[in-house]
Amino acid sequence: MKKKKQVKLTSRHWIVIMTIVCIGLIVTSLSSDMVAAPIRSVAGYFITPFQNGINDIGNWMSDNSAGFRDNKALAEENKELQAQIDELTMKNNELMQNSAGLERLEALYQLDHDYEDYQKVAAEVISKDPGNWYSTFVINRGTNSGIDVDMNVIGQGGLIGIVTEVGANWAQVRAIIDDESNVSVMIRDTSNNFMVSGSLLEEGSGKIDFFQLRDPDDEVLEGAAVVTSNISSKFLPGLLVGYISDIKVNANELTKSGTIIPVADFTNLREVLVITDLKETKEIPAS
Amino acid sequence: MKRKCVLFIVIWVLFILQSTVFKFLQIADTSPNLLLILTVSIGFMQGKKEGLFTGFLCGLLFDLFYGSVFGFYALLYMYVGYGCGHLCDIYFDEDIKVPLILITVCDFLFGTTVFLTRFLLRGRFNYGGYLLHVIMPEIVYTIILTLILYRILYLINRKLASAERGISRNIWL
Repeated sequence: MKKKKQVKLTSRHWIVIMTIVCIGLIVTSLSSDMVAAPIRSVAGYFITPFQNGINDIGNWMSDNSAGFRDNKALAEENKELQAQIDELTMKNNELMQNSAGLERLEALYQLDHDYEDYQKVAAEVISKDPGNWYSTFVINRGTNSGIDVDMNVIGQGGLIGIVTEVGANWAQVRAIIDDESNVSVMIRDTSNNFMVSGSLLEEGSGKIDFFQLRDPDDEVLEGAAVVTSNISSKFLPGLLVGYISDIKVNANELTKSGTIIPVADFTNLREVLVITDLKETKEIPAS
Repeated sequence: MKRKCVLFIVIWVLFILQSTVFKFLQIADTSPNLLLILTVSIGFMQGKKEGLFTGFLCGLLFDLFYGSVFGFYALLYMYVGYGCGHLCDIYFDEDIKVPLILITVCDFLFGTTVFLTRFLLRGRFNYGGYLLHVIMPEIVYTIILTLILYRILYLINRKLASAERGISRNIWL
């Protein structure tokens, strides 16, 4: 085909060359995002529109299978109501968070720290991690809609995850049930801080693990609401995560661990909200 | 050239399918590893170099959107393709037993490698649990789909081969 004289490279040469290339990529990606970011943003234009399309077809089919043509309107309405319920659950959670926190805060600091009204962007889940090891998914909004890395993602009345990668028209979200996810949380009413960590083996049961809960007076009971803590470095405070399902004392007799049932149902995520306010940790707020 | 174009399209279609359609068709929280089927099949049908590059491209696509370490899956898929290329010599028309065994072994090694590098190092020692809940279901589902997908890939390969007959065998892919 090519008239140009070329050195004959056997497959053995290629495997060595490509191995070096891959290791080079791994090393550079661990140290910076220089290589991956531009390729990612280009590839986004080739992949996301199609995932979007297939997803729309999938949604359209599942909408239709919910009933006959006439029922489509009902499905639509149901969807709206569901969104409303999610929103109200969120609101209710905020209010409860407020009332529980307010007395204590007012008494202690005379502060009227109100729960901020966060800016949100709605997005649709268009694809999920093709493998079975991670619970990450991609949404159809990116930097063009003001989304950036580390923004919190909520939906169905609770915390869903955090943005880990972002492109022009897509963003990758790591769900809180992902094995590598760790969230600093607290019990809503008693403010005990502890950690929640996703676990692949618990995924089937729909629960996530928690540990390092210090509760010397046995105040925390099953069913207690768990919200993101205000000492978390990346998650905004007061977002509902879930409810404590079971709880046991660790062998050290100091801390407790157990499982939490998240409020969000991760098996059928479709629409999510991305909070475009980032938690500010570097600078101390003025007020 | 034609072969390359077809290969790119196949990779692209399978990636999109795997990340969308098959996520809705999950069985026991598992989705099949279509890209692995493709990599193994190409390596087996066409040789080491082809398998190597197919694997690299599949892995790269995976890394672009879902990898937390860029290049990790590319390396993994690449070795799978290269390894299967060694068995190209015993490739024989329509025989599906060898690819089935190959895919089983590769999927098992693939899962184990992911566990060893990404989970064990974070202090998750329960290999048995992961084997039972993640690796085995994936293998089973992948094998079932191999029965269908391998036939399709085989037909594509045969069609391309007959179109190419007369023209010298392509340099790569």
